Amino acid sequence: MPRLLLFYRLMVRPLLQEPVRAALTVFAVALGVAVVLAIDLAGAAATGSFRSSMEALAGDNDLEVTASGGVPEDVVGTLVSLPYSIRISPRMENYAVIVDSKKSLPLIGLDFVGEGESFAQLDSASGAAPRVQENPQGPLEHFGDNDSIWLGTSLGYNVGAHIQLLINDQVREYTVRGVYPDSNGAESAIVMDIAAAQHALARYGRVDRILLKVPNAPGLNEWQQRLRGALPAGVEIHPQGTGTNENRKMLAAFRWNLQLLSYVSLVVGAFLIYNTISVSVVRRRPEIGIVRALGASRSAILFAFVGEAGCFGLAGALVGLPLGHFMATGAVKLMSATVESLYVSSQPGAIELSFTSALLALAIGVGIAVASAYSPAREAALVSPVEAMGRGRREYDVNIEKGRDLWLALALGLAAVAASRAPAIRGKPLFGYLAAILLVVASASAIPAFVHAITMFSSKLLGKLFGVEAMLASRSLAGSLRRTSVLVSALSTAIAMMTAVGIMVGSFRETVAVWMEDRLPADLYLRPGSSAAADRHPTISPGLAETIEKLPGVAAVERLRAYEIFYQEMPATLVSVDLDVLRTEPNSEYFSGRPREQVLAELRDSDAVVVSEPFTYKHGVKTGDSITLSLGEKQVTFRIADVYYDYSSERGSVLMDRKTMLRYLPDPAPSNLAIYVAPEAKLETVRAEIEQATAGHRVLLFSNRDIRAEAIRIFDRTFAITYALEAVAVIVAVMGIAGALLALVIDRRRELGLLRFLGGATGQIRKLILVEAGLLGLLANVAGLALGFALSLVLIYVINKQSFGWTIRFHWPVEILVAALTMVYAATVLAGLYPAEVAVRLNSLEVVHEE
Amino acid sequence: MKSRLACLAAALLFFQTLAAQYRTALPGYRYEFPHDHFSHPDFQTEWWYYTGNLRSSDGHRFGFELTFFRQAVSRDAAKTGAWEVKDLYVAHLALSDLDGGTFYHAERSNRAGPGIAGTSESQGRIWNGNWQILWDGNEQKLLAVDQRFQLHLTLRSEKPPVLQGENGVSQKAEGAGQASHYISLTRLTTSGSIELGGKKYDVNGTSWMDHEFFTHQLAPDQTGWDWMSLQLADNTELMLFRIRHADRSIDAYSAGTYIDAQGRTTHLRASDFVLQPLGERWKSRVTGAVYPVQWQIAIPRLGIELEAKSPLESQELTGKTKFMPNYWEGAIVLNGKRNTKPIDGVGYLEMTGYDRPVQLAPGG
Amino acid sequence: MLILSLQNVSKDYLSDGQRIPALSNLSLDVKRGEFVALVGRSGCGKSTLLNLAGAMDFPTAGQVLVDGVSTSSLEDAGLTRLRREKVGFIFQSFQLLHTLTVFENVELPLLLAGKPNAREAARERLAWVELDDLGHRYPHQLSGGQMQRVAIARALIHSPSILLADEPTGNLDTTTGNVILELLRRLTRQQNTATIMATHSVEAAALADMVVQLRDGKIEGITRR
Repeated sequence: MPRLLLFYRLMVRPLLQEPVRAALTVFAVALGVAVVLAIDLAGAAATGSFRSSMEALAGDNDLEVTASGGVPEDVVGTLVSLPYSIRISPRMENYAVIVDSKKSLPLIGLDFVGEGESFAQLDSASGAAPRVQENPQGPLEHFGDNDSIWLGTSLGYNVGAHIQLLINDQVREYTVRGVYPDSNGAESAIVMDIAAAQHALARYGRVDRILLKVPNAPGLNEWQQRLRGALPAGVEIHPQGTGTNENRKMLAAFRWNLQLLSYVSLVVGAFLIYNTISVSVVRRRPEIGIVRALGASRSAILFAFVGEAGCFGLAGALVGLPLGHFMATGAVKLMSATVESLYVSSQPGAIELSFTSALLALAIGVGIAVASAYSPAREAALVSPVEAMGRGRREYDVNIEKGRDLWLALALGLAAVAASRAPAIRGKPLFGYLAAILLVVASASAIPAFVHAITMFSSKLLGKLFGVEAMLASRSLAGSLRRTSVLVSALSTAIAMMTAVGIMVGSFRETVAVWMEDRLPADLYLRPGSSAAADRHPTISPGLAETIEKLPGVAAVERLRAYEIFYQEMPATLVSVDLDVLRTEPNSEYFSGRPREQVLAELRDSDAVVVSEPFTYKHGVKTGDSITLSLGEKQVTFRIADVYYDYSSERGSVLMDRKTMLRYLPDPAPSNLAIYVAPEAKLETVRAEIEQATAGHRVLLFSNRDIRAEAIRIFDRTFAITYALEAVAVIVAVMGIAGALLALVIDRRRELGLLRFLGGATGQIRKLILVEAGLLGLLANVAGLALGFALSLVLIYVINKQSFGWTIRFHWPVEILVAALTMVYAATVLAGLYPAEVAVRLNSLEVVHEE
Repeated sequence: MKSRLACLAAALLFFQTLAAQYRTALPGYRYEFPHDHFSHPDFQTEWWYYTGNLRSSDGHRFGFELTFFRQAVSRDAAKTGAWEVKDLYVAHLALSDLDGGTFYHAERSNRAGPGIAGTSESQGRIWNGNWQILWDGNEQKLLAVDQRFQLHLTLRSEKPPVLQGENGVSQKAEGAGQASHYISLTRLTTSGSIELGGKKYDVNGTSWMDHEFFTHQLAPDQTGWDWMSLQLADNTELMLFRIRHADRSIDAYSAGTYIDAQGRTTHLRASDFVLQPLGERWKSRVTGAVYPVQWQIAIPRLGIELEAKSPLESQELTGKTKFMPNYWEGAIVLNGKRNTKPIDGVGYLEMTGYDRPVQLAPGG
Repeated sequence: MLILSLQNVSKDYLSDGQRIPALSNLSLDVKRGEFVALVGRSGCGKSTLLNLAGAMDFPTAGQVLVDGVSTSSLEDAGLTRLRREKVGFIFQSFQLLHTLTVFENVELPLLLAGKPNAREAARERLAWVELDDLGHRYPHQLSGGQMQRVAIARALIHSPSILLADEPTGNLDTTTGNVILELLRRLTRQQNTATIMATHSVEAAALADMVVQLRDGKIEGITRR
C-alpha cells in the first residue's frame, strides 16, 4: 500500500495537474482500442457470427444435398425410398423483397406436408425448423394455397395481413397465415410451402437443397458415403453448413485485412504512449534522482513509469470500450454492405460485447501502453541518484545514433523487398504484411536522420521565408530530435497507411472504371427488381427477352444467366452469355491478349469456359487446364480457354456459352439482359419502349452510364470502412501531436518566457508553436507520402494479389491524396492552436527568474 | 369395414374440398384385378391396410400394422408442379411385440411430390417414403423402416380377393353412396424377418389386407366403431364391424362377412352376429380412453362362439397432433367353439371414438 | 539624462487570495551611463523591481517611466515594442537557447524585432565581449563565463538604453564573475546605458555607481559614490 500511495503522489497527481494532456493521451489510446474493438465486434456481427441467411432456419440437420443449378427433385423421391431412418427436408431457397418496407429477406419453401408435424406440434423445444404458431382457426389449413406465407414475429405482421412481395421480376400478393418466433430478427424469413415457392419462382423440377438428419450410428462419414452412392454424379452431399463454413473461409481474408488495418491506430497510439512516457521520464529526472536518493529501488522506478503508462492504457481502454461498441454499429452497416455486395447474402448478427472481447480490449489497451512505455521506463530506472540531483541538462535527449539507424533502415528496407517476393501462406499474404511492417520500422529508423537533415538545413531558409519564429521552430524540433522523430513517425505511419490505402483504392477504382468500359458494351441493361447480390441471381421472366428483341430500335438482346455453384469447396459464380449476339467492341480483356472474338469463338456451344482472375487464383488453374463442374445431376469437364479480368466480385467466376449451359441446366430464365440499340435509333425512345413493354414486371433498366455509376457507388461504399479506419488513425495521430506540442510548450516554458524578455511579442510565440506544428505535419506528410507509396506497392502487388487475386494497375489518385494530405496538414496545424494558446499565457516572469 | 376415416378427418380439416367432384361408391361396380389393387383417384378417400400375426422360429409372437391412406385434396388441372398437393398420403406403421410387451407405432404424412408417396400400377408399388408394398405376381413384398424396427415380409394370398358387402358395395349408412368399395385378402401366408432392438427375427404367420375407396360413407350421428378380422384355424375367416351412436346404440348398418375355406363369402347383417365387449377394460394413460380388450363373438347361423382377447393391452395409436385421432388397433387371439368343437385363431381388432367422437365431416 | 523613473511604485501579488506586497511605495531615478546595484536578501523585491523596470510587469500603484513613457499606459504590444527598443536582460543562468549558435543567440532580439543587419550587429557585440571567434559555436561548447558574455552581447544587440541584470555572476566562480562585472561596467560607460544589476555579492556592489539597498520591498538606503 505505501508503494501505491507513493505511486499516486509521484505519478498520478502530476498527471492530474495536466488534465488536457493526460486526456489527450487517454483519448488517443481510447480511439485505438475502440477501433480495434469496433472492427472485431462488427466483423463478428457482419461475418463471424455470419450464417448465410439461408442457414437461419436450417434446423438441426447433419448433411445437405446440393447441386449446381439446383438438385433435380427426383432425388428427393430416391432418398425417401432408401431403407434408412433419415429425416429428409427439401427446400427452395431464394430471396424476396417486402414491397412496403423494401426489406429483402430469405424466401424459404418447405415441405409443410412431409415436415408438417415439425411445424404443427410445436412446443417441444426441439429447435427443429421454424415453429409455426398454432392459431385457433387452424392456420395450416391454408398451407396448400399458393398465397400463404409465414413470417418471423419480428417483422411485425399479424396473422391475416396481406403483403406484397417482389420475387424476381414479379410482385405477388400474399396472406400471412402464421408467425413464428425468430429470435430478434436473426432468423427472419418468408416461409411458404415448397409448391408455393416453386410457383412463385417459376422454378420447377429442382429444389435448392435437401437437408438430412441421419441416425447417430454409423457416423456422419459413413452416412455420407452410403448416400452418395444413391445420388446422381453431379449431386453433392456435404455436412450441413458446409456452405456457411466455406463462405466464412472466404470472408476470413476480408475480415483479417480489416483487422490488420484497425491495428494501425494502435501502432500510432503506441508511438504516442512511448512519447508521453519519454517526456514524463525526461521531465522528472530530478524527481527520480531525489526518490532514488531517498531509497527507491530501480524496480520501483520502473514500476512507477510502467504503471503510469498502465494507467493511460487502462483509462484509454475503459473509454474505448463503449466507444468501440458505438463505432461498431456504424461499422456493421458498412461491413455488411460490403459482404453483401462482394461476397454473400447475409444478415448481420447482433453486436455482442462479450466479456472476452471487453477483456481483450482492456488487455490491448494496457498491453500496448506498457509495452511502449517499457523502454523509457527502463531508462528512468537507470538514472543514478547523483546524476539526477545534479541539475543536468533538462532538454530532451539529443543523443541518437542517426548514422547507425540509417543503415538499419536500409537493411530493413531490403528485407521488406525480399519479403514482398515471398508467396502467400495458406492463402494469407503473411509475408506481404511482414514487408509492410518492415517498411514501417525502416521508415521509423530513417526518420531521425531525415528530420535532422531537413530541420537543420532548412532552418535558414525557413527563417528567411517565414521569419525568425520558423527558424526557432525548426531548431527546436531538431534540438529535441528523439521526441520529434517519434511524433513524425507516429503521424507519418498514419499518413502512410492512409496514402497507401488511398493509392490502392484509387488504383483499384481506376482499374475498375477502365475495365467497365470494356465489360459493358451494351446500351441498356435490364435486371429483376428483386435484390441482387454477389450470390443472389434473381431471374427475369422468360419471354421478356423475346418481347424486347422484337421492339423497333433494338438491335440485339443478350441473355445472361448466373448461378451460385461450389467448386472445390469454394463458392463461385457460373455465368452464361449469349454468344449468338455479336459484340463488336475490340478491347481485349483476356490474359492471353487475344481479341475477344477469337476467345469467345472457342466457347461457342462447346465444353469450354473462360474463368475470372480470382478463380484462377483461388483454385490454382490456368489457361488450358480442365475443371470438372457438377451441373444438375451431371458432372461435366470443361477446358479453360482463357482467363479474363473481373473486378465485379471477389468470388471466382466461370463463364460459358448460353447454349452450353442450357444443355446441363435447362432453365431458360435469364438473370440479366444486355440490350443493344440500333445505330439509327434514339436511346431514350428505345428506353421508353422497353419500359412500356416490361410494364407488369418489376425490372430495373439501366443505361450504360447508370450502371457504371452504380458500380462505382458500390465500390465506394465497399471501401468506405477502410477510409474510416484510416481517418481514425490520423485523428489519433493528430491528437497525439496536440498532446506532444502541449508537452513541448510546458517543457520549453523557460525558453518561451525568455523570448518575451528578449522582445518577442505574443503573436510571435503563437506563431512559433504553430510553425512547429506545421513543420511536424510537413515532415510527417513527406515521410508518410514516401512510406505510403512504398506500402501501396506492397498492398497492390503483394497483399491484394495474394488475398484476392486481382490485377490492379497502379494509378495516382492525385485529387484524393492532395485533399487528404491537405486536410491532415490543416489538422496538424490546428492541433497546435491550443498548445500555442497555452504558450502565450505562460507567465514569463515565473519561468525565467529562478531563485 | 375398415375405417381409418379417423385420421382422414384431420385431412378434411385441412382441405375443405368439395366432395361433389368425386365419384361415390355405388352398387354394380365392376372389379378388375390387379388394376383395382391400385389407386382410384376418382374417389376422394382410399386406403390399403395390412395387419398380421407373426411368430418367430423361437416362438416370439408379433403383430404388425401398415396402412396407406390417400385423401384427395385438389383436382385442379392447372396445378402441374410435382409438389402441388393433389392428394394427401398418410401412413401408419405399428409393431406389437406381444411377448416383449411393447407396442411401437409411427405415422407419416406426405404429398405425392417427386416420388415421395403414391401408388403405381406399372411398378406394382404402393408407398409412402420407405414404407412400401411391392407386388410381384401373386406375392407382395412389405418393406417398412422405422428408427426402432424394420419389417421385411413376403405375403402370398391363399384365396382370391373378397369383395365385402353386397353387390360390390359395403354400405355404412342410409342413402346411395354412403358406402365404400371394399376388397380384402383375408389369408396372406406371411414369411420374412423383423428387426427389433438390434435383433433379427425370422418370422412366419398370416396377414390380412383391406383396400377401400369411397367418397363419403358415414352419417353424422355415427361416433365410432369396432372392427375385427378373424382368421380361424380351420382356414376360414370372418370380418365383423359395428358402428356406434352417441347414445351407445348400435347402428343397423353394422355388418360382416364369412369366408369359407374355399374362399366363398357369406354376407352377415347386424342381426346375424353378436359382437360385444366382455369384462376386461384397458385405460390409456395418454388419452384417458377406456378400451374393452376382451370381446364376445357369436354367429349362431355358423355355429361359431368365440372369445377374443389381446395378449397386449396397450396397442393404442396416438396421433402426433391434435388433428390426428387416437385409436386402438392390435393383435388378438381367439378361443372358442365351432359346432361344439374347440377352435382357435388370431385376428386384429380396431376400436375408434373412445376418447372423443370421431369427426366425420369437414368442420364437423 | 533620466532614463528610468519609478515613482511611488507598489506591487502586490495575489497568492491564494492573499495580497502579498513585493514592493511598497518605492521611488528611484536612474540616468544613462549609471551602473546601479540592487542588494538585499532573497525575496526583498529585487526581481520584481527589475521586471517593472524592464516593462515585463505593471505596478499595482504608482508608475514606472521608461524614457519618459509610463508603462501602465501601454498595451502588451506597446510593452513589447518598448522592450525591443530600450531594454536588455541578463540572467543568472545565462538563458541561452541551446539549439541556436552563439551568433543566432545574439541576433535573436533583432530578429524578433524584425530589424535588418543582425549579423553585423552581432559580430560587433561579440567583439565587445571579446568572443568574435566563437560565433558559430553552440552554447554547450562554451564555459560559463563565455556563456554569460554571449548573454551580455545579446542584451546589448539592440543598443538598449536600460540593461537589466539579475544576479549575472550568481552561477560563476569569483574570478570569472569579476571579469563579467568589469565588462558590464565598461560597456555601461561605453554605450551610455543605464545598468541595473540585482546581486548578492558585496564585490559586485562595490563596483556600482549607486548601491540601492532593499528590504521587504522598501528602499533601506541608497549609497552613491
